[in-house]
Amino acid sequence: MLLGIDVGGTFTDAVLIADGAIVQQAKVATTQEQILTGILQALDSVLTQQSVAAIERVVISSTLVTNTLAEGKNAPVFLAVMPGPGMSTVGKFPVTPEVLTGYIDHRGQVITAPALEPERLKLNLEARVAAVSGKFAVRNPVNEQKVVAQLAPLGFEKIFSGSELSGELNFVRRTNSAYFAATVYEAFKTFATQVERSMAERKITAPLQVLKADGGTLPLAAALTQPVEAIFTGPAASVLGIEALGAPTLDAISLDVGGTTTDIAFWQNGKPLLAPKGAQVAGYNTAVRSFYLRSVGIGGDSLVTRVADVLQVGPQRSGKAMALGGAAPTLTDALLVAGLVTFGNGIAALAAMEQLTEPGETPQQVARRIIATATQTLATTITAMLKDWRVQPVYTVNDIMNGTPFEPQLLIGVGGGAPGLVTQLGQELQLPVQIPSGAMVANAVGAALARPTLTGTLRADTTEGFYSIPEAGLRKRLPATLQREQAEAILKSWLLTAAQRWQMPTQDVETLSYEEFFTLHDSYTTGKIITLKMQLQPGILHKITGREVAF
Amino acid sequence: MKPNLGLVFFPAFDWMISPTHPERQERLLYTRDQLVEEGIFDLPQIREYKPRLATLNDLERVHIGVPQLSQLITPAHLVSAGSCLTAADAVMRGEVKRSFALVRPPGHHAMRVVHGIRGFCVINIEAILVSYLRKTYGVKRIAIVDTDVHHGDGSQDIFYHDPDTLYISFHQDGRTLYPGTGFPNEAGSPGAFGTTINLPLLPGTGDAGIHRLFDGLIKPLLDDFAPEIVINSAGQDNHFSDPLASMAVTAQGYASLADKLQADIAVLEGGYSVEAALPYVNTGIILAMAELDYSQVIEPDQSALRPQPAACMARVEQLISEVGQLWQNRAILSKKALAQAQGSWSRQKNIYYDEEGINETQIETVHYCKECRGYLTWQSTATNTRFGNQNAFIVSVEPTSCPHCREQARAEALQAKSCNQWQYVLLQDQLTGVIENI
Repeated sequence: MLLGIDVGGTFTDAVLIADGAIVQQAKVATTQEQILTGILQALDSVLTQQSVAAIERVVISSTLVTNTLAEGKNAPVFLAVMPGPGMSTVGKFPVTPEVLTGYIDHRGQVITAPALEPERLKLNLEARVAAVSGKFAVRNPVNEQKVVAQLAPLGFEKIFSGSELSGELNFVRRTNSAYFAATVYEAFKTFATQVERSMAERKITAPLQVLKADGGTLPLAAALTQPVEAIFTGPAASVLGIEALGAPTLDAISLDVGGTTTDIAFWQNGKPLLAPKGAQVAGYNTAVRSFYLRSVGIGGDSLVTRVADVLQVGPQRSGKAMALGGAAPTLTDALLVAGLVTFGNGIAALAAMEQLTEPGETPQQVARRIIATATQTLATTITAMLKDWRVQPVYTVNDIMNGTPFEPQLLIGVGGGAPGLVTQLGQELQLPVQIPSGAMVANAVGAALARPTLTGTLRADTTEGFYSIPEAGLRKRLPATLQREQAEAILKSWLLTAAQRWQMPTQDVETLSYEEFFTLHDSYTTGKIITLKMQLQPGILHKITGREVAF
Repeated sequence: MKPNLGLVFFPAFDWMISPTHPERQERLLYTRDQLVEEGIFDLPQIREYKPRLATLNDLERVHIGVPQLSQLITPAHLVSAGSCLTAADAVMRGEVKRSFALVRPPGHHAMRVVHGIRGFCVINIEAILVSYLRKTYGVKRIAIVDTDVHHGDGSQDIFYHDPDTLYISFHQDGRTLYPGTGFPNEAGSPGAFGTTINLPLLPGTGDAGIHRLFDGLIKPLLDDFAPEIVINSAGQDNHFSDPLASMAVTAQGYASLADKLQADIAVLEGGYSVEAALPYVNTGIILAMAELDYSQVIEPDQSALRPQPAACMARVEQLISEVGQLWQNRAILSKKALAQAQGSWSRQKNIYYDEEGINETQIETVHYCKECRGYLTWQSTATNTRFGNQNAFIVSVEPTSCPHCREQARAEALQAKSCNQWQYVLLQDQLTGVIENI
């Protein structure tokens, strides 16, 4: 049996999956101060004494640590950077960094070694965690490693380095990733401890994993080495949930209609599309891999207001719909009056619409207009996402001539408000709509079924005679000739070793990208540069058949 | 806030002339690495654009290929030309303040009549850009500042008779470098005299020299000409580390020049120091055009940089004075030359295609008209092309050509056809980009 838990800002969901089906599910209020209480409540609703012993794995996803960032509760971080010559970094990072000398060039050659004099550093004594990042450290981590070694005796609880968090080029994004990993470290540790305690209290001994923004999972212990990957997982869980409940084989757009927001994602060949660059965290660009996803401030609980003839839906939310006992009119009330959803108190919903009705209109007309306003906002975002996806630059003639365009042919709706809202949107966009059953707890389902994943980058420069795997902090000598197969074998073996270390099942390793360029000197070929990216395939363990349960 | 710079980056990682050619896949690899690592594409002041494909008509508004242009180009050429059109649209639609097409393959050695590849170029992407700006946006006065180390003989060839296009090129003296042309006396045909400006510099000229030349001559000329659009043919091989040339300009020199010029549209040309120069020069130019701080963009290795010899500055001062004078007198000189020409003006050209060993002999004639800009004819004979030896008689009418000239042009084409001396008789309409095989 697989247990999935999603700790959201409002609800904590839990599902238990066995034999390809949801066997138990629960939705309880999240207890903000002591999340342990909420998790225990959710566990107790889905577990029996028999099922505890049968649990093979627990996966947890949460937006709680993200929320601490949104509230500006960043823990102080000592941030050291080595930008070398190039673009000015003023204002690029969330805090003012300590700028050290030390520079690696684009080929990975050390131009200047770092000069760090710990006694002279204006150390931020409040900071218990540190982050170190250097330009082109992914090409050669030696400068970052020197600085980490020099900082180690100063008593930091944890030091993160940018190149270990991401093997991708982009110094600014890696630096921000390292900063956010450091600033959420203690909050994440507290969260992890509480989760571990809840499992212990219910005698669950199965491996405990957390979900990442790219839809893969990591063992909780491994997540502590890269907490930034695990702080952004709410939408990822819902995307995986959709994959589990019936991934579309056509090009499709999914909408997860929650209480406050609707998360929109794109699908091609049965897989959610990944964002071409990393995710934004608290307004800063990071190297965190994530799905191509956008959140719109429209959900079932979105407050509806009227000023003269203008109806506004969201982004503020009301407690709950009047149809469900709330105090102010919401989108859900409009959906009920328009006959697009069937739950809740119809009379209360009608009263909600009447509050917004002017002489000469019927409540039904107003409800229709509210829904049209909401679907219009969603349609606008979808149009913008489509446009941004299509204008993504490509760098080869082949990609320009033979690229695969994204042409949506289907809408998929999950979440409470989906049946009404997405059906309406489908009519507007002239696309068929699917609402998979089990859609109400898609997040927890996604978490339960997510596959563990690891990503690695190998960069080999045969002229230099070295290869490096930044995620491993590794730089090693290389045979003079290196073919693609050997490079893949080296990286695959590192990925599998790392997977074993974290007791992750070692399933298929896939190549994400491969680049090979010959290097010349004075018109003679001197070697080649290979850049290879591979991963343990993310996705879901297996599909399931969902079922709807009223909460 | 509208971004300051629209960036069309197309490194064409799968296009090359040959595996060991300077124009090979890897040319912009290190530049890509530097730009991505710096985080350039994430800057709010910069918007990246995906290139579109130019159409054959876009190309044939400028070029006449023999036997056909479509047999001489690769899809990569449609992308690099299309990138320039994308860059133009971004600026003309007001989406960005200015734009930079950082693309390959390059173009400034491609002339109007094309038999093959010369100087790494088949089609002239700046000329295609100019023709597109005129046709689509009605732009009339355009200036091109060519900062490549080689004389842009293709651009010169195409704009030699066009008084509305000011073509300014500074480059390493043609007596010491390919293609061997580009002296001040090549100043334009009688109807466009003075709108081709050639500034040959001595080997070893560095930042001080090119900046003195810009401040003392190029800037005043541009101010005087008052173009609606300024294009920069942004070659980067004046860099001190370039393997094909002998100049001494640094990334800072190029970046501050881009800052002073603030071209509306820049287009990459040459630059073959792919590791030591291009990553830094491009970062510098991009930051300058985006109005960001570029003062820290410095090559890690400047050991090959030599101080500028004194003779270099003397040449710069000489050019400022002589070419400045030519510019002042250009109206009188043009009038005089036109009077001498008496209805038509011809020149003979021997054109060598270094890439393929083609020798072309060409007689180009401008036919003047009182009502319009007239029309052009070429008698072109080329040996050793991939199609063997070939010759063509070509007639070209301009967008402004009057009905009489259009009739006259067609009559000349028909007459050439009837004398059976030419393998190909082609009639180009520069307005539609349609080439008729007569």
